[in-house]
Amino acid sequence: MTTRLLIVMGSAAVAAVMAGCGPAPSAPAPSAESAGAPAPGPRGSEEQLKALAARPTPRLADGRIDFNATWDHLGGIEFVRVRTEASADGSVCVFGCAPPPGAARGEGGGARRGGGSPPPMGPGFPAYKPEFAAKVKDLSDRQVQMDTNLRCAAPGVPRIGPPGKIVQNAREVVFLYDDVNGAFFRIIPTDGRPHPTDTEPSYLGDAVGRYEGDSLIVETRNLNEETWLTDNGAFHTADLKVTERLTRVGDTIRYEAVADDPAVLSAPWALRPLTLWVSDQELAEPARCEDRDLPHMVDGSYHSNPR
Amino acid sequence: MILQRFSAGLAWLLVVAAVPALGHHSVPGQFDVSKPVVLTGTIAKVDWINPHIYVHLSVKDAKGGVTTWALATLPTAMMRRSKITKTSLSGKPGEVVTVNAAPARDGTRNLGWINKITYADGHVVQLAGS
Repeated sequence: MTTRLLIVMGSAAVAAVMAGCGPAPSAPAPSAESAGAPAPGPRGSEEQLKALAARPTPRLADGRIDFNATWDHLGGIEFVRVRTEASADGSVCVFGCAPPPGAARGEGGGARRGGGSPPPMGPGFPAYKPEFAAKVKDLSDRQVQMDTNLRCAAPGVPRIGPPGKIVQNAREVVFLYDDVNGAFFRIIPTDGRPHPTDTEPSYLGDAVGRYEGDSLIVETRNLNEETWLTDNGAFHTADLKVTERLTRVGDTIRYEAVADDPAVLSAPWALRPLTLWVSDQELAEPARCEDRDLPHMVDGSYHSNPR
Repeated sequence: MILQRFSAGLAWLLVVAAVPALGHHSVPGQFDVSKPVVLTGTIAKVDWINPHIYVHLSVKDAKGGVTTWALATLPTAMMRRSKITKTSLSGKPGEVVTVNAAPARDGTRNLGWINKITYADGHVVQLAGS
């Protein structure tokens, strides 16, 4: 029910943006070669990303970078290089298949996205003040019981990861997600509107955006304390502020995010940058999220849940 | 025979080693990957849900009794990317399939995690390991 509501609301949000006031945006205008046109090399490979980045960077009529597109990346549940072509007899390997030659690896720093989350208090993990180390460890040890992300809740920001689709007009930008936990959206004013002062903290907070050169900067706050920054007990307070920077290069976006929560972190936590690319696979309504597994867990073991 | 079993066991261990993580939580935290089972039956129903799809497999025993296994597998988006639909995963009505799976560790009967499904025409959908 909640998911349905979100989808309806998300659709309404998109419709509102598409009909937004002010100068009409150009039609979603990926470069002439893009719109999901195939690029050489395996999906997400360095070869493919290089070719996509070399394409012209499209702009809207007002000169701003055009971010309108569906965007793919190597992350989350797609960390497995699933095959899209069945063999001659119709067999297909979905998981655990050997990666195709030249498949992209994560960019440096921290654990490879999808290959595992940084261990608590280890390299790549948010740097907590020493007095919070025990709390992180306790939450990490009890992740199966404590992590709302395992119970189909919205993952929060920045844990939800980069958007799967961006819809942009002169007044605002909308990020859309077809997440394993449900369909989510974020409406991001870019016309100078300030953060609202009358909203309750929420899973995805409230965001405002601005343009800096070829980048879109999104600042998010007012996040509730039910979500974590990442796996392994990386809790945060309601004072968390997240800054995302999306820089379009040809038919790719460099996605960066920094989470700052001075009350508990000893330094802002920068996520490992990701490269997104224009995809021809449209978002789809996610199937209902209904966990049936947690009651059967016999120990606290879990794994990374990256997006 | 012993060699075959050893080989199968070794292959399974390699599979497990290659699959530390799936879906929302640890597979070995819920399923005993050291005790693989092979089930033959018909797919009665597929619950196309996240974070894990459930395949309900009706298995006949030697006395004609039917036991239905609930077998978890990957999330829907991964299937979508592999062009697998609920219909194709379900097979043809009444089709006898073979499922390699790992049983639940908590003692719940007839609950498992799918490694692969082999359909009547011989084609295989591999869902864990390699």
